[in-house]
Formats: sequence, C-alpha cells, structure tokens
Amino acid sequence: MLAATSAVVGVIWDISWHRTIGRDTFWTPAHLAIYLGGALAGAACGWLVLRTTFAGTAEEKAAAVTFWGFRGPLGAWVAIWGAIAMLASGPFDNWWHNAYGLDVKVLSPPHVILALGFTGIQLGALFLVQSLQNRAGEAGRRATGLLFAFGAGILVQNIAIMGIEQIAFPNSAHNGLYYKVAAAAFPLVLIAVARASRLKWAATATATAYLAISLVMIWVLQLFPATPKLAPVFNPVTHMVAPPFPLLLVVPAAALDILVQWWGPGRDWRLALFGGVTFVAVFFVAQWFFAEFLLTPYARNFWFGVDQWDYSSRVREWRYQFWRIREDPVTPTKLGIAAILAICSARIGLWWGNWMAGLRR
Amino acid sequence: MTGRAGRLALVGVIALIASAHVGSPDTYFEGAAGRYRVRVIVRTPGVVPGLAQITVRLLSPLPQGALPRRVLVLPVYWDPHTAAPPPPDVAQHVPGDSTLYSAALWLMRGGAYSVQVTVEGAAGSGTALVPVMAVATRRLALDKALGAALVGVGAFLFIGAVTLIGAAVRESGLEPGAVPDRRRTLRSRVAMGVATVVLALALVGGRVWWNGVDSEYRSGLYQPPHATATVRTAGGAKVLRLAIDDTSWTNAKRQWTPLVPDHGHLMHLFLVRDGTLAAFAHLHPLPLDSTTFEASLPPLERGRYRAYGEIVHESGFAETLVATVELDERAGTWRPTDPDDAWTTGNAKRETGNVVGLTDGSTMIWDRSPAPIVVDRDAPLRFVVNDPHGEPAMLEPYMGMAGHAMLTRDDGAVFVHLHPAGTVSLAALETFALRQPGDTVRGLLGARMTALEKGSGERGAVPDGATPMPGMHRGEPLPAPSSFSFPYAFPKPGHYRIWVQVKRSGRILTGVFDADVRPAR
Repeated sequence: MLAATSAVVGVIWDISWHRTIGRDTFWTPAHLAIYLGGALAGAACGWLVLRTTFAGTAEEKAAAVTFWGFRGPLGAWVAIWGAIAMLASGPFDNWWHNAYGLDVKVLSPPHVILALGFTGIQLGALFLVQSLQNRAGEAGRRATGLLFAFGAGILVQNIAIMGIEQIAFPNSAHNGLYYKVAAAAFPLVLIAVARASRLKWAATATATAYLAISLVMIWVLQLFPATPKLAPVFNPVTHMVAPPFPLLLVVPAAALDILVQWWGPGRDWRLALFGGVTFVAVFFVAQWFFAEFLLTPYARNFWFGVDQWDYSSRVREWRYQFWRIREDPVTPTKLGIAAILAICSARIGLWWGNWMAGLRR
Repeated sequence: MTGRAGRLALVGVIALIASAHVGSPDTYFEGAAGRYRVRVIVRTPGVVPGLAQITVRLLSPLPQGALPRRVLVLPVYWDPHTAAPPPPDVAQHVPGDSTLYSAALWLMRGGAYSVQVTVEGAAGSGTALVPVMAVATRRLALDKALGAALVGVGAFLFIGAVTLIGAAVRESGLEPGAVPDRRRTLRSRVAMGVATVVLALALVGGRVWWNGVDSEYRSGLYQPPHATATVRTAGGAKVLRLAIDDTSWTNAKRQWTPLVPDHGHLMHLFLVRDGTLAAFAHLHPLPLDSTTFEASLPPLERGRYRAYGEIVHESGFAETLVATVELDERAGTWRPTDPDDAWTTGNAKRETGNVVGLTDGSTMIWDRSPAPIVVDRDAPLRFVVNDPHGEPAMLEPYMGMAGHAMLTRDDGAVFVHLHPAGTVSLAALETFALRQPGDTVRGLLGARMTALEKGSGERGAVPDGATPMPGMHRGEPLPAPSSFSFPYAFPKPGHYRIWVQVKRSGRILTGVFDADVRPAR
C-alpha cells in the first residue's frame, strides 16, 4: 500500500513538475517516487513470495496461489507483475522520447505500460488487503476495510489521472465527453468496492480517500516555490502548479452505497441498471454546478487551488470559460449514452466485486 | 508490444533533409561574446521537443589571459506574448579541456531559436547570439538489443498476465488449503483462453496506435517547401526561374513569415553540376512575386544541375529549397542580375591540391596538415589568398565576408554554405538582434531590416548591438583579411567538393578544392 501511495503521489507530483518547471531528468524526485513505488512493491512482494515458497509455514503456503512452481498470495503476484511492467516501461519511454520527442501527451504507449504497471501494484495491494479482510475476524475487519477503501481510492485517483485530458478541468464539465468518460470509468471501481468490502459505506470511503489524496497534493504542492526552466514561458508561475480540483465522486458514491445496501447480492442486473443511471444522474447534478462554482472567483484560492495553469499556457479568458460547449454540449442523448456506459461499468464492477468478496488467498 | 517492437527493430534511422543546410543539421558558429571569442557547436537532436547538445570553446588569446568565471547558455524562442525567459543554464567544464564548456539545450518547439551564449569573466560579460533551427528531421530506429529486451519482457508480461488470471480463477477464491476441483480447473483454462484473446486484441490495438503515432510523426518531419527550377529565354539570354510551388507556401492562410534580405538578397541560389560537380554558380535571383525568383543564367555547360535556394524568414527561420534543372544549351551573353553573382567551371578531373590558381593570377591555398579529415571533428578549413607576387592579397569583403565556402558531397546528400562565422545565417542573426517587443505585425521587422541595409548604403550591414563576426566588416571599403577559416565539421563520410569565393579588385574569385572525409572510428 505504501508502494501504491508512493507511485500515485509521484505521478501527481510529476505532472505538476511538467506543468511548472517543464524540464526533467530521470532523477527528479517525482520520478524517484514513482519508481520507488515499483521497486518497493517488487522487492517486498518478491521477498514475500520467496519466503512463502521456501520458508513459509503450512498456513502461509495454504493461503497462497501457485505461479510457475512458486507460491505467494495473488496480490503479491499482481504487484510483482506491475513492478516488472513499470521497470520495462523506463527504457521504452526513453527510446520513445528520443524517437518522437519529449512528452507532449500524457497518453503514449510507454506511459500506458507504466500506468498498467502501477495499476498492477495498486491492484496487488488491494487484493492483498482484501484477502486479509475476507479472512479476518470481526475485530480486524474495520481496519482492513478502511485500508481497502484507501487502496481503492488510489485506484480511483489513478483513473482520474489517466483521464486528465478529458475529465480533469472544471472547464470541461459542460461537455458530453466529460460525463461519458466519468460514467464509463468510475462506477466500475466504486460499485466493486461497495460489493466486496465489509464496510457499510465503502464506496463513499473510497471516494473520500480519493478526495483526500487530491486535496493533500493540491495544498502541499502549492507551498513549494518553483519557476519554469523551459522556453517559451507564457505564464511565469512562481510555485508548483496544483493539480485540478478532484471530481465530486463522494456524492454518487454515497448513492451507490445506499443502492448496494438496499438490494444486496443476487439482484445484480437490476443493481447495475439502477446503479448506472443513479451514478450519472447524481454525478451530473453535483458536478455540473460544482464546476460552475470552481470557475468563479470564490474558488481561486489556496483551498481549491484552481486557476493554476502551465508555464506554457497563454492565460486568457478561456480559463474562466467552459470549453468546447458548442462542439460538444451535454444533450439528453449524450447523457443516455453515459448512462448505458455507466450501467455496463457497474455490471462489470459487480462481477469484479463478487469475485473480490470471495478472495481468500 | 512484441509485434510492434519486432516490426520497428527493422526500421532504420530515417534521415531527411535538414533545415538551413542540406544533410548537415548541426550549427557551427564562431564570433565574439563581449571580449571573449567563442566557437559554438549545437548538435540538434533531430526530434522536437528534444535535447540539443551545445559546446562552447573559448578561443585564444583569452582576454587578460584568464578563463572566464562561467559560461551561460539560454535558448530563446521569440513570441510577443512570452513572459521573462527562464533562467539560463550554466555550461559545465568538459574535464580535461580547460577551454571547453558544454550544456544541454531544451528545444521545445519547432522553429527558429536564438541561443544566447554569455561569457562572464574578468574581462567583463558578453553575449553572442547563435541562431539554431529546431526541426524534426529523423525518427530514431529501435536498437536491436533494446528491441529484443522489450520483446522478451513483453512476452514475459503477456504470459505472466495470462498465468495470473488462470491462477486467480483456479485458486484465489478457495479457502486456504483447499485443492481446486475439476470444475475450477476447467474455468481457469477458459479464463486463460479468454485472457489470451483479450490481451492479443489489446496488443493489436496498441500496434495500431503506435503505427498512428509513427505515421503522424513522419508526416510532420521537416521538408523544405517544394520548389521547381526552369529555364526560359528572354531576349536571347537565358533566365533561371525558381518557383516555390508548395501548397503550404501558396496557401493564403500560410503560417510562413515573409522573407528578409540576407546581405541585400532575398535568395542566395547555388547551381551545382550533378554528377561531375564540374560547374558551379552563386546567383542572387530577384523576386517577381512572393513565390517566384529569377536570375540571369551564366553560360554554364549543358547538363543536369542541382539548385539550392537559401532563404531566411522574418521569424529567423532559415531554410534551403532544393530543385533540379536541366540546361539544354549553353547560355549566350551573360548580364548578371546582381553584381555579386558569380560562376565557375573546371576540375572535372578531380585534381586534388592545396594550391589553386585563381582567374586574376592570384592563388588560393588551403592551409591544412596532411592529417585526414574525419566526420564530426573540427575540419581544417583555413584558406589563404596570395597575389601574383606571392604576397598576401588585398581582399575586399564579398557580401560582408572575407570569404564564402560552399561544399557538397558527390551525391548531393550534403550541401552547406559557410561563412567565417560558421553555418549560421547572418540574416537570421539580424532578425534576433533587431527584434523588438512591438514586432507583432508580419513584415514590420523585415521592412526595418531592409531600410537599415539601404540606409547604411551597404550590403550586410551589422546592426548596432549585434555581435561582430570574424571576417565580417561593416563597410565594404575596409579590406578583408587575406586568410580566413570556416568553423565546421563534416557530417558524413565521402568525397566532397569545396568552392571558396573571395573578392579582389572588384572581381569575385572562386577556388575549387576536393576533400575526402573519413568515417569516425
């Protein structure tokens, strides 16, 4: 979990670094945090596997799965896979920069491999905690449940980072694409957590963890003085640029928790249908108006951290406007598509949640 | 991943025509930074955004005999809306060489950069501006070893992912100690099969994505605007016409800034006899409009010629248009379009020699040691002109310079126009030196540059504040030194021909030399 946290903090830090300072090397602290996550997860889980295989007690071996003759908890294997993917992405990314130029887009094939890598670490951490939660008695369930929600919060954060170009900025919150992307991505994790966790308000706790990680990063990063080191500088920033304010996922997450508690297991198609529609409806109302607030002068302060732009941005009126509302306005049809995506997402999330609810090793 | 890596392992480095010169993307500059004389080399990365490597050599004699305190470098991309530039980088001493400094330059946008090289020391502080063109010219090949390693790791991750999914379905839901039954084992195999298909589809999707990025990148590689050279007859004389017929140029919404004069000429056009390299002309066509340039054609022998048209944009971006033209018959009487036009024939036999007789009886000597010329190492391009009595000749500046050198490789893969100031375009340098914050309207700066040149009554006027160049003079009447050198390193091995042009007693004289350049070991 520490490795997963290190990786996600590193990624947010790195994005801020690119938006503020511009230039970097492999050895920036943000990169080190990311790769520390990989190395930590790989080393810890590698050690866990070796210990379980060669020096494990009978119980430890019994609570493990087999992989090419070695034994270890499923989560450890997934984290090891993620660590290897992360390490492999390093030289690939380096070649990519030399061949096609330094990063101009967040989404590139080597970055996807890196993202798959740290997603693997996050999932591995989640599975490890979940198998503990499932095997724990009543006493340990709350602690493991909270840890599980935190791990899921990191996963949600991860998804939000990957969708930075579509769903990060409040200026995009009046676009159809914004709700389609959010509807496809988030119900999956939130409803899976609500189903798998023993906590009553697991999805809400997950969304809260995501909110908390984001807020800490927004508040901490802004404190550090930094200046651009790359020309051309259009926006002479003086401190690290804060990441965009997180989405108000807490509201739809609470709605999903209520629905999951209400219906319980066994009526998953119905739950997916109502869960998906509810997510879109609640998220749309909450985010639509909250985004309007984020574009007002009341949000331009330390606490919300909005109106902070890259050193290479030509800051003009667009920063207080909704973008592309003529090309991609929100229409009933687009909300309908978003609802269908959310239903599919929720159904997959329920399958995943049911599987995690039965995870024992 | 594996498929993509394997495919790309077969792709070689794609080197295309470089910007201001042909096949020679690096920048060489020699000039003054205050009281310090510096030679600057910028090795461009070939990708944008990318990291260029800059080296700054302090040339002797050092002012007050002391090394400077520090050397700073800063690439500046001009835009009227930019805020203050970022802080410059301190170039680091190269170990083992007390006068050499190096740093990395971050070139983030395609276009013209002015790199500010500042030397601070006991002799004061001074800055030299070095124009650098940032363009994407190549796509790096995937190294075989790296490709194989990536394929190996990719295969491991693929098989690992399928195995993990199988293990997850088979065992992870079992109570500790329980053994998976036949049903679970079967489900696990089905899951592994499905995972294989899904992951394979993801790989195919990834490959399509990579291909898309690759083809988009390749289509964005720098190519000079397309130009066509033709010959027409006008009143018994032959006229060479170079027309820029590229759609990006002729489009009314084009992004190109207007051209600015380089030593009074909007275009420097070079003709090189293809194959034999036995004929050469340096002309200065006049613009008929913004796309068409014409020059009176000298009586060159019949044959196929390569034409190189050098132009400089108001943005400071310098580029070389490339075309070919067939001369069916020798032109008759030649009335040069411009007094700076010149041509020469000869040396088809490829006689190599360091001493060449010039048409006015003087001689040009290539002052070089017998040591071989090697790719990417300082080329010994120092020349001396002696009068018919063997005394140093009194030369006049030719377009503001002691000398001009044009060199090309046999096959035309390289063509470069050098000055004693290096490969940099002096017009580009002037745009950076003269630019003011208010120059937001296209043509404003160009008009000021033209007015300045006309006002000074000379070609190649150096603006106040601009760095004086070695071998470059503010006024034509000043004598030029009888010996001069060109800072340069050959980019590729092979056989080269070099035409060195000087001006003496009002005549433009051309010395022709040959050079064999060896590959670096």
